[in-house]
Amino acid sequence: MSDTVIEIPSRPNIITSLVRRIPPLRKWKFGLVLSVSYIVVLTFLAVFANVLPFVRRYNVLPKGAEARRLASYRGKPSSEYWFGNDKLGRDTFARSVYAAQKTLTIGLASIVAALVIGGLLGMLAGYYRGWYDRVLSVIFDVLLAFPAIVLALIVVGRFFQGGRLNLGVFEMDKRFFGVIVVLTLLSIAPLARIVRAQTLSLSQREYVLAARGLGASSWRILVREILPNLLPAMFSVAFTGLAVLLVAEGGLAFLGFSVQLPFPTWGFMINEARSDLTKGGGWAVFFPCVLLFLTVLAFNVIGDRVARRFDIREATL
Amino acid sequence: MAGTGKAHLHPEGDALLRVEDLLVEFPVGRTGLKVNAVTGISFDVLPGETLGLVGESGCGKSTTGKAIMQLPRPNGGSIAFGGQELTSLAGEGMRTLRTNIQMIFQDPISSLNPRRKVTNIVMEPLNIWGIGTPEERLKKVNEVLEAVGIDPERAASSRPYQFSGGQCQRISIARALVLDPKMIICDEPVSALDVSVQAQVLNLLEDLKAKFGLTLVFIAHDLAVVKNISDRVAVMYLGKMCEVAKSDDLYLRPAHPYTQVLLNSIPVPDPKVRPTGNQRVQGEIPSPVMPPSGCRFRTRCPIAQDRCAAEEPQLQALGDDHYVACHFPLRTAN
Repeated sequence: MSDTVIEIPSRPNIITSLVRRIPPLRKWKFGLVLSVSYIVVLTFLAVFANVLPFVRRYNVLPKGAEARRLASYRGKPSSEYWFGNDKLGRDTFARSVYAAQKTLTIGLASIVAALVIGGLLGMLAGYYRGWYDRVLSVIFDVLLAFPAIVLALIVVGRFFQGGRLNLGVFEMDKRFFGVIVVLTLLSIAPLARIVRAQTLSLSQREYVLAARGLGASSWRILVREILPNLLPAMFSVAFTGLAVLLVAEGGLAFLGFSVQLPFPTWGFMINEARSDLTKGGGWAVFFPCVLLFLTVLAFNVIGDRVARRFDIREATL
Repeated sequence: MAGTGKAHLHPEGDALLRVEDLLVEFPVGRTGLKVNAVTGISFDVLPGETLGLVGESGCGKSTTGKAIMQLPRPNGGSIAFGGQELTSLAGEGMRTLRTNIQMIFQDPISSLNPRRKVTNIVMEPLNIWGIGTPEERLKKVNEVLEAVGIDPERAASSRPYQFSGGQCQRISIARALVLDPKMIICDEPVSALDVSVQAQVLNLLEDLKAKFGLTLVFIAHDLAVVKNISDRVAVMYLGKMCEVAKSDDLYLRPAHPYTQVLLNSIPVPDPKVRPTGNQRVQGEIPSPVMPPSGCRFRTRCPIAQDRCAAEEPQLQALGDDHYVACHFPLRTAN
């Protein structure tokens, strides 16, 4: 018998402990990896569209023989024009990438604004209850019952018709801002309701009572005790909500209430080419649709995963 | 039972906490009806004393405890702490005085925020009041954590769900102790714990009481637990006070039929002993929305008579600091 060599494990250094925080690969869900990669690539393309060599400008119009070859949807997907060309012969891939920029900005801005406003109102309604809750609940109900299209018509069609909007630091297209306002208004009520319901139950927990007994102010209780417990639910709702908003933006664009200049959103691209489906516009509709579909799917998968991840933590309680 | 009266109160100034005619009601939806959770009970707690508050579920024990903390404020009556009236205090005065009274809750998990590190939970009171520098706060927190038997190092890196129920209850106790309160209200602090852990936590409470000079109000439904830790015991039924006596006296010579019934319900660790019919209380506890007239216990009392329905009994002295609210007490004054 040979002597058994006992290996003394070396003290874990910072790098190994960092590595250990990343779950082993088999725990990674295939769909999640795919979704995250997709979003990362899409965001990368959208952000660096101006500098990437393989993305043409969104407004390059072909000339002469080139135009005759590509315009009126004659340009099919090829190694040169990956997604084909639109009615005027512009590169659909380039336009889709630029549109991603605008579509994602609209979605993100709306969901963040709705989370902040809806979250705050929901927390206050759930925490203070009483007449405050009653007034806010009525407002939420009205917002929920209000027809989305009429709201869009009023906000975009009346107040943000066209021109530039100067907000000090930001200068932007009025319609662009209008669409964000509409989508924010539409998502405040559902988000506020979820947050309100959660806050109602959280504020009955004994640690909130204990904090009050310790002399904590209401503001401190809301920020320190309740908000951290709301965040998981808010995050998962945000991802799913983002997906819904992307579709809603498409719907608004379909009805003509979205942004066209200087470059379109996916919804607008779909709307632009849909009347020419029989005249070869199929590819110009297909690719923005696919991108929209994949993006919505990816955000849903990620949102689902985020929700489940926080669930596991709750289950161990 | 279930009477009012203040015969049992000590002279004003002696008691650290003096509760008189405490009234707590909750509205039942928008029906206009109300739950009479606590109806006119009075009791006091002497400095350094442990007062046990017992009764079955729904009798208003916890409501009483929370009413002392003014969470929520009672609908009537007076609560004086160290001579200072709590019910009329508001704002900053309330916030400051309330720190003298701390509470430990029944559910050790629910009373700790699951998303914060244990050290931060225990340090929160010091942060709220801005006591000391961050280093001093940490030192104080670690001292208190050690006093309750929690490893400060582990507390710094762990969240509540990584501790057992008993340990969580110790953490709750540490949080209550960190502001050096005068009184701690223990709202069924051990009823969610295993029996072996119960003993540990109870012993810890006894030790800490001696070490920090605490006064305790100990709320429980387990009479065996209350007997060991309390100096005096108050028995409640449906929002009313039944009997107040020194712990040993109450257990040896109960005067109220309800106390008798409660004592009989303590399980005997002998399989040959069978509960007999007349030792059990019959029926359900009546609704606190429409409590019975007169003595509230009369609907289930084995010796109830007509007078019990007509007239509410007052707490009367039986001598030796023993008081009972019953028209027909099981024993008379010595």
